[in-house]
Amino acid sequence: MGLDFVGRGVEETDGNIITTTIDKVVNWGRKNSLWPMPFGTACCAIEMMATLASKFDLSRFGSEAIRFSPRQSDLLIVSGRISIKMMPVLKRIYDQMPDPKWVISMGACASCGGVFDTYTLIQGVDQFIPVDVYIPGCPPRPEDLIDAVLQVQQKITSGASPKGVEVVV
Amino acid sequence: MNEEKEVEEQSKPLVLEKLEEHHADSLLAQDEARGTVVVVVHKEQVYAVLEYLKTDPELAYAFLVDITAVDNSQMESELMQFDYARFMIVYQLYSFQDQCRVRVRVPVHENDLSVPSVTALWKGANWLERETYDMFGINFEGHPDLHRILMPDDFEGHPLRKDYPLRGRGERERFNFDKQNV
Amino acid sequence: MQGGLERATGERMVLSFGPQHPATHGTLRIVLELDGESVLKATPHAGYLHTGFEKLGEHLDYNQYIVVTDRMNYLSPLSNNFGYVLAVEQLLDIEVPKRCQYIRILMAELSRVADHLLWLGTAALDLGAFSVFLYSFREREKLYSIFEKTTGARLTTSYTRIGGVFRDLYAGCEEDVRQFVSNFQKALKETHTLLTRNRIWMDRTKGVGAISGEDAISYGLTGPCLRATGVAHDIRKAEPYSSYDEVTFDVPVGTNGDAYDRYLVRMEEMIQSCGIITQVLDNMPDGPVNLEDNKITMPNKSDAYGHIEGLIHHFKVVMDGHGVETPTGEHYCATESPNGELGFYIVSDGSGTAYRIRIRPPSFFHFQALPHMLEGGMVSDTVAVLGSLNVIAGELDR
Repeated sequence: MGLDFVGRGVEETDGNIITTTIDKVVNWGRKNSLWPMPFGTACCAIEMMATLASKFDLSRFGSEAIRFSPRQSDLLIVSGRISIKMMPVLKRIYDQMPDPKWVISMGACASCGGVFDTYTLIQGVDQFIPVDVYIPGCPPRPEDLIDAVLQVQQKITSGASPKGVEVVV
Repeated sequence: MNEEKEVEEQSKPLVLEKLEEHHADSLLAQDEARGTVVVVVHKEQVYAVLEYLKTDPELAYAFLVDITAVDNSQMESELMQFDYARFMIVYQLYSFQDQCRVRVRVPVHENDLSVPSVTALWKGANWLERETYDMFGINFEGHPDLHRILMPDDFEGHPLRKDYPLRGRGERERFNFDKQNV
Repeated sequence: MQGGLERATGERMVLSFGPQHPATHGTLRIVLELDGESVLKATPHAGYLHTGFEKLGEHLDYNQYIVVTDRMNYLSPLSNNFGYVLAVEQLLDIEVPKRCQYIRILMAELSRVADHLLWLGTAALDLGAFSVFLYSFREREKLYSIFEKTTGARLTTSYTRIGGVFRDLYAGCEEDVRQFVSNFQKALKETHTLLTRNRIWMDRTKGVGAISGEDAISYGLTGPCLRATGVAHDIRKAEPYSSYDEVTFDVPVGTNGDAYDRYLVRMEEMIQSCGIITQVLDNMPDGPVNLEDNKITMPNKSDAYGHIEGLIHHFKVVMDGHGVETPTGEHYCATESPNGELGFYIVSDGSGTAYRIRIRPPSFFHFQALPHMLEGGMVSDTVAVLGSLNVIAGELDR
């Protein structure tokens, strides 16, 4: 099974030797061990917890190592409403994450303000931090979050840079 | 439901009776709305009235449920029960003893936005008064630590006033990340 | 609790705990002044999730606002829906049919169980008991599927309407709920064996974050946090709303008001809720679920499609400026939400939109009382106390 994950460009020779590029091996590793930093503030955080819990079990996709320290994570999941008081905190968390880093904007509120078009709510976190994958829904179902993680994985496999970084490695 | 209302109706006059007896000069108006006694009190005497309601053994409104305010500036004047005041501070009290509620309202004019603080009576009043200050700009005199609670400290304006627009005044787009103290 | 100060060294350190910390559930922030490991001063900060719910209430009409109430205490949206429509209905002076009242109780109690389950999972997780989190989410998922079948959504249910509910229970709901209840008792026993006599759990929660009944009342604590101090106050008993006077249940109380008692009270409340649910299912009356008043509730679909009056009424209820209009006046209505007294104070100027909506959130008071419970204790107790209070940022900051 293992070799397929390394992606295109892998050549298997007669012996037990494979040749590939360093990038591909690194990306393969990254893809299968995304460490999310859950920035859960509201309703979406409850669905994010459900995604991590027994029924949906995000660990099937290698992303169960939830790290609340931004310095150990490479996937920021913004789930919930972000107020003007919270936005500087989010920005700071994002800045603290080491490159390369990906961002999922989970739910309507994080993506565009959702039903709360009010004085205090940021109308989309992408005004201030780059977002790689948006998930619609209020709140999105756990399957949606899993799908978003898979999309980030696809993005990594394809070698595309995260939104926030010009060049990866 | 009907039985319950009857019981409340019997106990209602007690609050009003006792208030009329002890604090007649501070009562501006009184009313009974949907099973709750509503009294309107002059702001100079609000502390005394609330203290009386809390400590009187027959009334024992020991539980402060809520403090909030209403901005009357867009309320049609004929709906106001008495002279117009821009703000109305609303205190909700509950009595464990009689299991009934009383609402105390205090009119506050725009040129003097101050009300005595009741933090000495209830510890829970602290944040409620801070929130009312944050949202309406009402000054609670004697409050130990009156500053914003929900909005950032450098926020300007009071969002729940009627003249404050729902979508704000551009605070959510303008951002100076350096200035913010996280 | 007392041990902390004796070991103090005299050096002070300020620790900003949150808003991004796993135990603060996203958006709470406490600034702790520490001397060694003991807490000298704790200052909770709120507002990181302030969303402007009260301001929105002045711009949305009465039925639209139900959607907003979902997102307030997002652990138990059905209870918020219930509390809000009850306030509007009392303002309108209408009473919904018996069947509707029973369905609302059923849903409110199911969501109380769901709320306490999530609290249990996260409070235990914060103290390192990861398996409890998985166990309680297993049960919560069963509730999610019942909610989804009933309301169409897992979490943001928007189930109630002014004068009724969105739709009747689905066929087979009773069996699903009964099955859940019978399995749940067993599942809860499992949790009891994991935690209740667990040495670590008891050491971390017993005597931690204690508050007396008198202080609890002064701070405005309600719900399980108040009952854990020994004050047997429950709005469902004191001022029965809907049809709560027709079901029998006990109000569990604690004695010490500490984190352990809050845990026990919540565990027992789940059992009591199951009792209420069974009674409600046994006595569920037949009949319409919605008030038959075309000025307030939507007509049947067959009426709306088949008769011109029905069509007109349908449009009138939905159209902006023609929906439910309340008489002028003001009303405060309190319900016993899973966290405590959830109150809605509505001021109406006679139009279809509230002039002012004030929400009295239980978590606001619980979070405020936090310094009282923390100061003098150990820094590690902060997590235990915060977890035991179940502060929900959505309703704390609104």
